[in-house]
Amino acid sequence: MRLIALFSIATIIALALETTIPRWLPLGPLMPDLVLVLAVDLGLRHQQATSALLAFGMGYAADSFSGAHLGLDAFVLTLAFLIAYGLSRYLISASAAIGVLVVLIGELLTGLAQYAASAGWDSAGGFGAMAPAIAWRALTSAAIAPWIFALMTSAARMSGLRLHGMRE
Amino acid sequence: MARTLRDSFLWRNRVLLTSGALLLLAINIFFTGNRPGARAEKPSLALLWALRPFQNTAADLADDSKGFFRDYLDLVNVRQENAQLKQQVAELQAEHTRFIELQVENHHLANLLELREALGMSAIAARVIGVDPSETSHTVILSQGRNDGLKRDQAVISTDGVVGKLIAVGPDSSRVLLIDDHNSGLDAFDQRSRARGIVAGELDAGMSMKYVDRTEDVRPGDAIVTSGMDGNFPGGLLIGTIAQVSQEGPGLFLNVTVKPAVDFRELEQVLILTQRPAPAAGQD
Repeated sequence: MRLIALFSIATIIALALETTIPRWLPLGPLMPDLVLVLAVDLGLRHQQATSALLAFGMGYAADSFSGAHLGLDAFVLTLAFLIAYGLSRYLISASAAIGVLVVLIGELLTGLAQYAASAGWDSAGGFGAMAPAIAWRALTSAAIAPWIFALMTSAARMSGLRLHGMRE
Repeated sequence: MARTLRDSFLWRNRVLLTSGALLLLAINIFFTGNRPGARAEKPSLALLWALRPFQNTAADLADDSKGFFRDYLDLVNVRQENAQLKQQVAELQAEHTRFIELQVENHHLANLLELREALGMSAIAARVIGVDPSETSHTVILSQGRNDGLKRDQAVISTDGVVGKLIAVGPDSSRVLLIDDHNSGLDAFDQRSRARGIVAGELDAGMSMKYVDRTEDVRPGDAIVTSGMDGNFPGGLLIGTIAQVSQEGPGLFLNVTVKPAVDFRELEQVLILTQRPAPAAGQD
């Protein structure tokens, strides 16, 4: 219950920031994908079935504010959660560097999935125009990820949640 | 008993199995959730409603501080100025910006009112309170929703031209698919030559007019307006102007690039047409 409350609040804050900051500062592709970082954090440190449901719910919430295809972010965030979960299980303890790598891969996958959903797999020609924006967003998200992981670790500790082993 | 349950395959792999089921559910929502009235869409509308107060507050702050931010960035480069002077300038600037913002907002609303009267259709003014964080899709969130009489597919315009149409309507907020989104398509014609085509968004945020026969006389600078044939937009609304025309290869159609009339990055106030337009001439 505490996990659900913590990540629900974090998702609401992340979505409010993501949808309103660009009105203040036109960051364009430099606007990080905060919800994806949260989903990866779930996969790395909160390894329960509830976390999978939360990742899906966070993706669904992101779908409500972004893109024209409901279900796309839900799919990608659940997948990112699963990748993070798998990596931290097999490596026994996951460092923040692994989290950063998963965020980078997850954001590239998100961009690719959004492109494919919008343009279709057959129109690879237009991908060149979108690739730099997708890459920049992935890099910015990955760069900001360690701070969000640290913030969520503090929040989780304060709320008394048990964390899966993670080296800072 | 509890031990048997914990040793079972299902329990040991519960995270993987739950994730797998959720991935399948996401795929199902992807293929069925965009239908009007789909069950999968309902929680999404509730979320749109839940986040509205945050977005409204942030939009208020953004409107108040937009000019302040820009001017402040200029100020930090001037090393000689002392802190007190900076603060005074910033405060005055913030006050001045707020005053100008109110003037601009008044001006926008007055223009929207004029536009509504000129169109002779019932319409509702709304404020943009959120934008799409994704780079590949172009949508904005509005401050009005179902409780204000809005419905899916209604046309959204501004004083500059066509903005888009509603794709999701929550109780007190709604989402607009902008015409420069890749999923958008709008029946239109060249105001001068009457050449028809479909104006659609491109992934790199540009727009093009598709299916224009290569024998048609279309030129850069021509105004592109709505045809009124799609049943959502009245005819004759400005979409943009032709930026470039080219003919590549042996295809049947011209490559026509359109520059939108509306600057979507600066969009603040819009008008939603709540009344469907009368069928255009020649429409079945």
